[in-house]
Amino acid sequence: MTNILRFLGKYRIAAGMAVVMVLVELAVELIQPYLISVIIDEGISQKDTSVVLLWGGILVGGSVAAFIAGILSSFFASHASQGFAFDVREALYTKVQGFAYPVFNRFATSSLITRLTNDVTQLQDTVFMGLRFMLRMPLVVIGSIIMALVVHVQLGFLLTLTVPALLVFVIWIMKRASVLFKRVQMKLDTLNRVMQENLSGMRLIRVFVRRKEEAGRFARLSQELMGSTVSALRLTEITMPFILLIMNAGIIAVLWFGHKQISMGKATAGEVVAIVNYSLRTAGALSAFSMIVAAFSRARASAQRVDEALSTDSEAPVRPGRNTEGQCEGGIEFENVSFQYPHSETRVLVDICFKVRPGDTVAILGATGSGKSSLMQLVLRLYEETAGIIRIDGRNVRELDMAYLHRSIGYVSQEVLLFSGTIRDNIAWGLEDASMEQVMEAARLAQIHETIEKLPDQYDTLLGQKGINLSGGQKQRLSIARALIRKPAILLLDDSTSALDVQTEAALLQALKGMSCTTLLITQKISSTIGADLILLLDEGSLIAQGSHGQLLASDYLYRRIYESQFGKEGVAHVGSFT
Amino acid sequence: MWEALREPFRYPGPRVKDADPDASPADRRAKAKAKDWQGTLRRIWHYLSRRRGRLSLVMLLVIVSCGLTLLGPYLIGMAIDDYLEGPGGRPWLLFLLGLTCVYVLQSIVGWLQNIWMIQIAQETVLRMRTDLFAQLHRLPIPFFGRNRQGDLMSRMTNDIDSVSSTLNSSAIQLLSSVLMLAGTVVVMLLLSPLLTLLTFVVVPLMALGMRWITRRTGALFRERQRNLGELNGFVEETLSGQRIIKAFSQEERVIQAFHERNVRIKHSGFWAQTISGFIPKLMNGLNNLSFAIIACVGGILAIRGAITVGVIIVFVEYARQFTRPLNDLANQWNTLLSAIAGAERVFEVLDEQEEDADERAALTLDAVQGAVVFHKVSFAYEEGRNTLKEISFKAKPGETIAIIGPTGAGKTSLIQLLSRFYDTSEGTITLDGRDIRTIRRESLRSHMAFVLQDSFLFEGTIRDNIRYGKLDATDSQVEEAAKLANAHSFIMRLSGGYDRVLIADGSGISQGQRQLIAIARAILKDPAILVLDEATSSIDTVSEIKIQEGLKRLMEGRTSFVIAHRLNTIREADRILVLKEGCLVEQGPHEELLGKQGLYSDLYHGQSEHRSAVKQ
Repeated sequence: MTNILRFLGKYRIAAGMAVVMVLVELAVELIQPYLISVIIDEGISQKDTSVVLLWGGILVGGSVAAFIAGILSSFFASHASQGFAFDVREALYTKVQGFAYPVFNRFATSSLITRLTNDVTQLQDTVFMGLRFMLRMPLVVIGSIIMALVVHVQLGFLLTLTVPALLVFVIWIMKRASVLFKRVQMKLDTLNRVMQENLSGMRLIRVFVRRKEEAGRFARLSQELMGSTVSALRLTEITMPFILLIMNAGIIAVLWFGHKQISMGKATAGEVVAIVNYSLRTAGALSAFSMIVAAFSRARASAQRVDEALSTDSEAPVRPGRNTEGQCEGGIEFENVSFQYPHSETRVLVDICFKVRPGDTVAILGATGSGKSSLMQLVLRLYEETAGIIRIDGRNVRELDMAYLHRSIGYVSQEVLLFSGTIRDNIAWGLEDASMEQVMEAARLAQIHETIEKLPDQYDTLLGQKGINLSGGQKQRLSIARALIRKPAILLLDDSTSALDVQTEAALLQALKGMSCTTLLITQKISSTIGADLILLLDEGSLIAQGSHGQLLASDYLYRRIYESQFGKEGVAHVGSFT
Repeated sequence: MWEALREPFRYPGPRVKDADPDASPADRRAKAKAKDWQGTLRRIWHYLSRRRGRLSLVMLLVIVSCGLTLLGPYLIGMAIDDYLEGPGGRPWLLFLLGLTCVYVLQSIVGWLQNIWMIQIAQETVLRMRTDLFAQLHRLPIPFFGRNRQGDLMSRMTNDIDSVSSTLNSSAIQLLSSVLMLAGTVVVMLLLSPLLTLLTFVVVPLMALGMRWITRRTGALFRERQRNLGELNGFVEETLSGQRIIKAFSQEERVIQAFHERNVRIKHSGFWAQTISGFIPKLMNGLNNLSFAIIACVGGILAIRGAITVGVIIVFVEYARQFTRPLNDLANQWNTLLSAIAGAERVFEVLDEQEEDADERAALTLDAVQGAVVFHKVSFAYEEGRNTLKEISFKAKPGETIAIIGPTGAGKTSLIQLLSRFYDTSEGTITLDGRDIRTIRRESLRSHMAFVLQDSFLFEGTIRDNIRYGKLDATDSQVEEAAKLANAHSFIMRLSGGYDRVLIADGSGISQGQRQLIAIARAILKDPAILVLDEATSSIDTVSEIKIQEGLKRLMEGRTSFVIAHRLNTIREADRILVLKEGCLVEQGPHEELLGKQGLYSDLYHGQSEHRSAVKQ
């Protein structure tokens, strides 16, 4: 929490002014009961109209002053809280962007989004409220007690007695309640999970005829939820009546002793009235206590989440080098490379060795989880190999500057990630200051140019929520265009042609042949491996075979099985006659 | 210092007029729902009325507690006039005792009314929730195609929550606010009409001020919401695309874009917060003003003897009390409206047409041979657009029927008819010679097992998931099924084995492994009819080869329907149905269809055609 509040330091003057304004308001409010006692005792009792008019005028003036102070506090508090939130967001986003990829992956994306949006907004609201209302509660209580003591020491003392008792009680209730509400939340989460599951698995539940069991489970959980909700609310509902009861007891005591004091001539009616009034104000302020505590505990949870991200050690497990010399040619060499993800025991890649000449096409084949994508991430240096050496153009990748390396690589990921904006923006995203010609050139190579031309706004067509929806294959081709526009020396295609039909894919591969870049291509389709210079067959992290199509077909059993499954046995003979 | 002091006043002015032309969804919803809120209220009442007795008791308590709350300050005023200032008529002790009784009662009644209302509210919510849940299980499957899951989820959670919290407290508060307001005004008028009028001078001021503020805040909050929404979208996009950003080394660029959006939020947020922050200050200011007016005018009236000091005290307290209900009313009104809107969204689902109740005469089948016949079956999702046209074929018990065809040919629709998620428009489907429409849905489905494309697993252990189809299966039966599905070995390798808990998002095991568990689940159910709807499509070829075995064993001795887009998986089927645009264009075994040189042979050869193109 304190870590986060540091961000408020920059706005301490605005924050301070907001508090000062609240104090002005409070002063006016706290003086009211005192002034009314003066009006009663010195004005009404003495039948002196001028006294009434004088103090009445001061009351009117005071309320105007308080109003102005209130309006100003709104400006100051708003500035402080908005500025605070702005800075936290900025710092958090910059921090997250600076995370090395393995660090980034330690957080679930959705949780980072929540931290950046809801949590920061929550904190900002709390700061705003805190500057304006939360301080108010203790100040009203303390101020009322002091003023009551000033008005009449003995009577004021009665008020002083009630407050600690109330505070102890309210805190006790809050503690008990927070445990109970936590349980309510847990039950609610479980219930929602069951609901979510039922919606997602509706068909399955129907075909397995499990309606009654699911309904039973849901009814049981709902019943439990109701039970815990009722008991939690029952507890908190005691708070208000109890506060009222104690404060009213105080008032009765004040009246009782006040009556005695007046008859002895030691107090005036006005003073008793003032103290009664202070008691009522204290009760009002205390009743807001639970709300404030609830807001604070929510804010603390948010602050912890934000802080966790902010204070994450972004000390990169991937250490970039500085070498930026020369033009990247695209030769890649893996020498006994092994890799395991951080915080995981199993090796995803084991002793991988292969060598690719600049300009060659490499097809990588293997089952899900065999390590294909991990291999690409190592080339990209999103992760760092745990053993062995990766060389690009004969230089250890560890020595290369990250931006220099990335400039030479065009990467197309397995899941299509496009950004909102126009088609042109998305293609040009790969190359800053790309000209329209370059964008179109890339689109042509990626076999998407003609499709774009047919769209109503062509290259200015908007994508995403506000724009049109492209088909999976079209999106894939767009992201390929985004990679191609960089004219990369190395092109990484992570199963990025899966949604293309056969003809388009063939045309694309043909177009890539014309580019002088080294291509690493993860694929499921034998059709795309046939033309490759080198095929890598991965199984459970090991490179079990490498070679050209003809070599593997002749020598590797698994490769032949895959081939047969896609082309049929007759196909083997057919292709065999070609090679 | 001076600079820092002036900073808050240097924001560019608020853009009030620039209201979003298409208001935020929440707004639109509130408006759209306002149309039939009477009907909705009546239905909420219908739910509540099961506790009618208790509810009237609560209402009674609310009235009593309002009376007591009004009585308190009045008695204090009396105490001041009669005992502190004046000589005092009745015994002082008795009076204080009376006051004590009033206070104690006030607390007890307040407490009782709240906890009873909570009980009623929670019981009502429970009933709504279970009704909604039960309804979802009765709704026809097409309903889930029309409605997004997130939306249904939100009805179940957010909407029910808003009904719940409103019933818990807002309902009582609303009622007591109205009562308090009316009661206060009446008592004040009785005590001193002149002072009452003067106190109420602040009401028009309040109305004016609120109007000024709310006219601005509406647009400002929409603006802020829009900016926040945009920032959220941006963050979501860039964080989900982090891999791309990293791979292209574009961090600086997105940080800059983020900064621009962040600035926009700061500006719109500043004005929304500042101006809406005026509301409590306005309330406070007017409270203070009415206090000053009462003190000043009341004082003069008291000197003239028109009123007593006690009346002033009563007024001071009442004035404090009546602005509160006004404020509460304004606040509660919004909650109430959103609760009504929420309830309406819940009722919308409850009003959906249920799956036609099974005919009374419908049968429950004990054992099934598995002979399935489609006789001239046509089917349309929408009127006039047939998805399936006059499909006829027979499947003998134990046969394997493969269904192939391009996307949209009607393959999945065929399965949907067989499981009676939908009913045929024309023609009949029979199982063992009996029209399936005469069989109870649940009975029909209990003889089938499905392995679907997205092998859905439930949260729970692997064992529970496999056992899903047959609750009374023993552990050894579960393991037997897993072995048949080729899943046993990988399950044993997992930490926890069969007791490994699967989480909803399925982390920890791969898609292929999920598929194997789904197959084991189907094996355990031991159905007469098996449906594989693209069961292996999301699996790569290599894994598929590995699970072929399991599937083959699963299909033995059962009537099986296999939808697949990879033709190699279906070559061994007894019969292949080739669908095209809803028509059954060819049927027969693999060799026979190849010989026909028709669509099947085209499709089959199409998968190898391009290879020469690549070679050249």
